[in-house]
Amino acid sequence: MISRPTLRRIIAGREAGTACGLLVLCVGLWIATPYFATAANLTNVAEQSAIVGVIAIGMTFVILTGGIDLSVGSMVALAGIVIGTMLQRGMSVPMAVLAGLAAGVVAGALNGLMVTRGSLPPFIATLGMMSVARGAALMLSDGRPISGFPEGLRVLATSRLMGVPAPVVLMLALYLFAYLVLTRTVLGRYMYAIGGNEEATALAGVDVKLYKTLVYAISGLSAGLCAILLVARLNSAQPIAGIGYELDAIAAVVIGGTSLLGGSGSVIGTLIGALIMSVLRNGLNLLGVSSYLQQVAIGVVIIVAVLIDMALRRRVQRSTRGSA
Amino acid sequence: MIGRMKLGRVLPAALLATVFAACNRGADAAMKPTVALVVKTLNNQFFIDMEAGAKAAADSLGIELIVQAPEREIDVERQMQIVENLIQRNVKVLLLVPNGSKEIVPAVVKANAAKIPVVVVDTRVDAATLKADGGTITTFIGSDNEDGGRMAGAFLIDRLGGKAKVAVLEGVPGHETADARLRGFRKALAASPAMQIVASQPANMERDQAFNVTQNILQAHPDITALFACNDVMALGALEAIQAAGKASAISVVGFDAQDDARKAISEKRMAATIAQNPREMGRLAVLTASRLMKGVAVPSEQPVAISLVK
Repeated sequence: MISRPTLRRIIAGREAGTACGLLVLCVGLWIATPYFATAANLTNVAEQSAIVGVIAIGMTFVILTGGIDLSVGSMVALAGIVIGTMLQRGMSVPMAVLAGLAAGVVAGALNGLMVTRGSLPPFIATLGMMSVARGAALMLSDGRPISGFPEGLRVLATSRLMGVPAPVVLMLALYLFAYLVLTRTVLGRYMYAIGGNEEATALAGVDVKLYKTLVYAISGLSAGLCAILLVARLNSAQPIAGIGYELDAIAAVVIGGTSLLGGSGSVIGTLIGALIMSVLRNGLNLLGVSSYLQQVAIGVVIIVAVLIDMALRRRVQRSTRGSA
Repeated sequence: MIGRMKLGRVLPAALLATVFAACNRGADAAMKPTVALVVKTLNNQFFIDMEAGAKAAADSLGIELIVQAPEREIDVERQMQIVENLIQRNVKVLLLVPNGSKEIVPAVVKANAAKIPVVVVDTRVDAATLKADGGTITTFIGSDNEDGGRMAGAFLIDRLGGKAKVAVLEGVPGHETADARLRGFRKALAASPAMQIVASQPANMERDQAFNVTQNILQAHPDITALFACNDVMALGALEAIQAAGKASAISVVGFDAQDDARKAISEKRMAATIAQNPREMGRLAVLTASRLMKGVAVPSEQPVAISLVK
């Protein structure tokens, strides 16, 4: 096993690498277009990264334990429709928001139970939930978007705190919280342990099933939080919202250096990964690059990031074997 | 070792940045005024035609045109991001085909705040939502979709002698363009009670979904003799399902948009009719309108583009 200081150094190194990638991307865009490095545009990019950024937190947790959650996009739609329906029925904003979060947590916990109690592979369990939650959202809304919400909800997307958009403040607060959970709590340590070696962790007396269920519930919660931002931003809850978000979230996690095999990675890396995706899309829009080429560029970045991650992993394995 | 790791991350990013810089060689044309056209998606021939019409007009008028679209037609949030980004790009006029009539309103309000005139093309912005949020659009350029739906209905009534079991493929629920077509179609059929709509299902404007939905409809209603799809992409998907079921001669399929593939199917007698919009003309008129706005010339608040039945 790798000792903890070594582990910490590796993670720090990886985040620094990803951060450098982001920095180089920004400098490149700063040179390429005068519209990129303005305060207004950078605020705009940060705001745009919040939607995927928030679900990517839950996704990081799930992936750290060696799982995957394909249902996040559908859970975003379901939570959004629950919020919209409740508001339409005259419920207050805080209650409607809580109901939306509860919908996310319940769907997420069901994912967790299917994985832990039903012994389903996470891929299958969450693939099923992807369809179930989407169908539930369509049923609840009769397939139609729900629009026009009170100001009390919309301020969550439109207000600013000392010039920083509210979604960015929320995202950063959530990342700080997730960082503390991962580095300072038992839950965090267990997540790495489960992802690293589930059997050994169970043998050490950890209730692996409980913690894994919790992790999927957290992913549902972050989908619910994302739904709040999305609904407030568009002033509309859509049953077809969030299609493809699971892939964006997985991409942010992977670009951020978290291993799809579980056991290693960090939320800070994920935040940088989400920012890289937003900066890339923003830059490609500013440069007027064709929509087709944009998709190619984003795909290339994901592949390159994973290639580097794998190369690093092999090198680390070799060096630790040498020093052991 | 950390230094080498950094290099590993930095190199590809640097390469990408170089690529972007190369993409931006058009910067020497920066003297030209820039206009943005944001469409629903570029996976649909309709918007590719609109882009072609707009580009041709931009070239002849000396305008730098940026055309952008989300990957998916249903991705309202991504379209909002694109509009926000183009506002940062300081485009002079925004030509916009909204993915969501209500959902796009916050983005329109942002363009208003940046003093960028918004020209809405093809799909209307929801007037009530726009008013509630205090947004304004400068002009609307598009077909009368409801009238097109009515034409499609009238054609089927005429062709089938006023008596038929009809299936309908709807668009993305809640989206104005397809809803208007559907409204017009239903109004036309309401006048002939023997024209009975036995199934009406959304297939989200997509070909593969239309194929599956039609297959399912044919299981439940094997005796339909007419099918109306709110766009040609769905009509063509339906056509394949109908052919696979061996009912090609029994069912009259009518689409909307008059895409090349649909026109071909009509000339081969596989499809009955389609409603021709003129996306090229919409694109041309949109850019022409942008050019007028930049010169300070007033434009009418509604600019209809002709519509016609192709059979």
